[in-house]
Amino acid sequence: MTTTYFLFLLIILPICGAFVLTLIPNYKKDLLRNIALFFSLVTFSYSVFLWIIFDKTTAQFQFIELYNWLPLFNINIYLGVDGISLFFIILTTFLIPICILASWDVIVKNVKEYLIAFLLLETMMILVFTVLDILLFYVFFESVLLPMFILIGVWGSRQRKIHATFQFFLYTLFGSVFMLLAILIIYFNAGTTDLQTVVCTEFSPYTQLILWLAFFSSFAVKIPMVPVHIWLPEAHVEAPTAGSVILAGILLKLGGYGFLRLSMPIFPYGTAYFTPIIFTIAIIGIAYTSLTTLRQVDFKKIIAYTSVAHMGFVVIGMFACTVQGLEGSVILMLSHGIVSSALFLCVGILYDRHHTRILKYYCGLAQGMPIYATGFLFFSLANLGLPGTSSFIGEFLVLTGTFYHNTFVAVLATTAIIFAAAYSLWVYNRVSFGKNFFINIKALFDVNRREVYVMAPFVFLTLLMGIYPEIFIDTIHISVQTLILNAQL
Amino acid sequence: MDFLLYFQNHFKGIFPELFLSLAIFGMLVFGVIYTTSEKYNKLILIRTINWLAIQTLIITIVLIWNNPINDIIIFNDLLIIDDFSNVIKIIVSISSICCILLSFEYLKDEKLYAFEYALILLLAILGIFLIISSYSLISMYLAIELQSLSLYVIAAYKRNTKFSTEAGLKYFILGALASGFLLIGCSLMYGFTGLTSFTDFAKLFGGSLLYNDFYASNGIIIGIVFITIALLFKLAAAPFHMWAPDVYEGAPTSVTAFFAIVPKIAILGLLIRFLSTTLYDLIDYWQEIIFLSAIISIVVAAFAALEQKKLKRFLAYSAIGHTGYILIGVATGTPDGIQASLLYMIIYIITSIGVFSIVLSLRNKVTKTKIKYLSELHNLGNTNPVLAISLTIVLFSMAGIPPLAGFIGKLYIFLAAIESSMYLLAIIGVMTSVIGAVYYIRLIKIMYFEKLRVFNFYQEVDREKSILIALSIFFLVFFFLDPSALLIFAHKHALNLCL
Repeated sequence: MTTTYFLFLLIILPICGAFVLTLIPNYKKDLLRNIALFFSLVTFSYSVFLWIIFDKTTAQFQFIELYNWLPLFNINIYLGVDGISLFFIILTTFLIPICILASWDVIVKNVKEYLIAFLLLETMMILVFTVLDILLFYVFFESVLLPMFILIGVWGSRQRKIHATFQFFLYTLFGSVFMLLAILIIYFNAGTTDLQTVVCTEFSPYTQLILWLAFFSSFAVKIPMVPVHIWLPEAHVEAPTAGSVILAGILLKLGGYGFLRLSMPIFPYGTAYFTPIIFTIAIIGIAYTSLTTLRQVDFKKIIAYTSVAHMGFVVIGMFACTVQGLEGSVILMLSHGIVSSALFLCVGILYDRHHTRILKYYCGLAQGMPIYATGFLFFSLANLGLPGTSSFIGEFLVLTGTFYHNTFVAVLATTAIIFAAAYSLWVYNRVSFGKNFFINIKALFDVNRREVYVMAPFVFLTLLMGIYPEIFIDTIHISVQTLILNAQL
Repeated sequence: MDFLLYFQNHFKGIFPELFLSLAIFGMLVFGVIYTTSEKYNKLILIRTINWLAIQTLIITIVLIWNNPINDIIIFNDLLIIDDFSNVIKIIVSISSICCILLSFEYLKDEKLYAFEYALILLLAILGIFLIISSYSLISMYLAIELQSLSLYVIAAYKRNTKFSTEAGLKYFILGALASGFLLIGCSLMYGFTGLTSFTDFAKLFGGSLLYNDFYASNGIIIGIVFITIALLFKLAAAPFHMWAPDVYEGAPTSVTAFFAIVPKIAILGLLIRFLSTTLYDLIDYWQEIIFLSAIISIVVAAFAALEQKKLKRFLAYSAIGHTGYILIGVATGTPDGIQASLLYMIIYIITSIGVFSIVLSLRNKVTKTKIKYLSELHNLGNTNPVLAISLTIVLFSMAGIPPLAGFIGKLYIFLAAIESSMYLLAIIGVMTSVIGAVYYIRLIKIMYFEKLRVFNFYQEVDREKSILIALSIFFLVFFFLDPSALLIFAHKHALNLCL
């Protein structure tokens, strides 16, 4: 049933890039970086092209391709894109060139392996968002662990990286193995693992509860939800800048996407049954992590904890099960991908110069690095949800949707915005304003051209999504509405 | 007149084994004459005999493939030649060819010049062929003895070190104990039924599950338990695995490679044939034994391997773990389970060939010693990046991380377990799989992440091993793209066995 080869080309491009990189010797670092950047930019343009030719008026999966994998067992590689997946793919292909640019001067050892790992990671992530088969979703969901493990472990900043990467790998693996068993039970009951068929199979309520829990254990670790969020601050802090960007930007969204694509359509009864618990955990998560943020001394850890808080907000929106709630959670996920990644890049810029992340060290940056301080202010305001930026749209829609569903939860979730204002502004205030106490004045120079190129697209996208979100909501609206209708939530 | 019938069918059916035994004797005579002759100045024939052994195995594969006799029970109910046995024999032969290829450089560097190395391996392979073909209690016992005796000898191959001799002696004593168990099990079964052939057993117990007037008195059940335990012992499955780490560590490394790969295939084939097809109707009795053995194997291997500091003991415990996973498939007793076991076995063989090739390639250039401790792998990512990446891929595949081949093997095992409603087994299996991942990624950590300033430089990998490593990595990485070929292969042969 393969009529077009669009998605195949999208997946092949980064692999071709990785293959071309293997042919170039390791000492030609500039050539390696340029070729990696070229391939990732081509992939990004191609994914934007896919957005342009995407049909916004239907909720069906588009650009579908079907390849034989195990025809005897009814498991086939079924690729397809709908409104929600499309934006995650674009986010992925957008973040990878930025990461490669961000690590231009920083990574000097084993550059070739680093870039190959990034391109393979890109392929795995695109595959997660395009496969419409639950077993293959699991396979690619897990296979992003491999390159991330190597990335954090080899190019991380200090010795604690080993502890962090082990924790990341083992937490995620342990959570996901129960999902594997649940997928096998679904396969045994439904006879196939094709998503569109499984969505139509009925499971008894008791089975749904158990299988939903198994799926939840995997996504809860990935999103992450309190109390299994412990890997996130460690992994984000110890990873190199580009690794943190990818972790925050995309890997966290895999969990949310998994909820949207798998848990909700296949187990509507389970979703409805467990919604109160999810709300509780999410709100506790928001409150706990926001308060923890206020106590942190490590810059990256602050942004890592804010990621947990934002994803808690996303989960509340998702389980509100109204159109506004779901759309809000998707927009908030995209916005968080942009804003958090931008914040990590800002921290990376500081770390490249001073090689420390301790907050007390930085004071009065606005005097020496005014352009950087402006960008940083913009992203901090975006982090707290200032109207005009993308996160406001997301949070507003989430609160509207949750208000329909459960008023009390919406009121409690609003505290997230207050906390976000608290930590964002306080961090920015301490870092940028005040008297300049720098000892190392030689490192205090403003952003160079490469870093402006890295920060500028994020500013543009945040404003675009904040001022005119209709471009984005247009595409995801029909898919979200169909999801709710089909699951009879 | 019966005599002529023997020559028509029976000897034709057993032709590959006949050829193998004649080849062994021919090479033995050749070796003895030329290595002790003064005229040729006592030639060292180890390399020649090794290559001749590989060629013998290739011809044996051709003979098995083209066997005109199929689906027959020959020699008065002693042996069976059928599709399953042919397939397992071919897998055994190919694995043995790889094991002999692994050993060339090792034997040269360790100065083990006795030419009988390949011949003892070929004798063990002959025993393995007979194990796979055995269809009676007597032939099963005799074939297991032939294989075991050859393996005892070769475990002690390095005669001048205490370590290797100790390994051989330990293996001999414990293996003889297991054979004793096997014998008492066989005699109990014979004593209580008067039958020895598997066909007769299948007919006797046939329909017991349905009609509820089964003929299994307690003596028969005890006999089955003894036989099963003896076979599990030979397989190094927990809780009968005690000999495995010591023997694997003491034996020369290329022999360890052979131990880890080939005898397991044989005993597993025999176990599947004996339990799943012959004694299928007494499944209530043996399923629990295999079930427990599988769980204990996986758990023991996971926790014990966490503590290991030496490389070969680590590989021994990981082999015990993999055996546990294969036993999950056997415990189900369904064709799906057998198919999953076959698939996992094949992936395990390729993974083992990969890992042993890499371990054998690591010989220090300066001190000319082999690698012994796990921590000696440090900085491999810097000194020998290709070997480090290969070892990383092999270890991730052993841990069962998608999208490598090991994951698909585990997937099928868990699918078979869930289909038979063995949910506890599946849950324990996946949880210990995560624990297993810990020690595998710890090796990767040692290779890549540590900041030690001491570098070991290794010799170049020789040609045969590099081809084996390349083929193994190629399979492990790209198996995911089209697994249907191997799956249909396993499916067909599992069905062939059961139907």
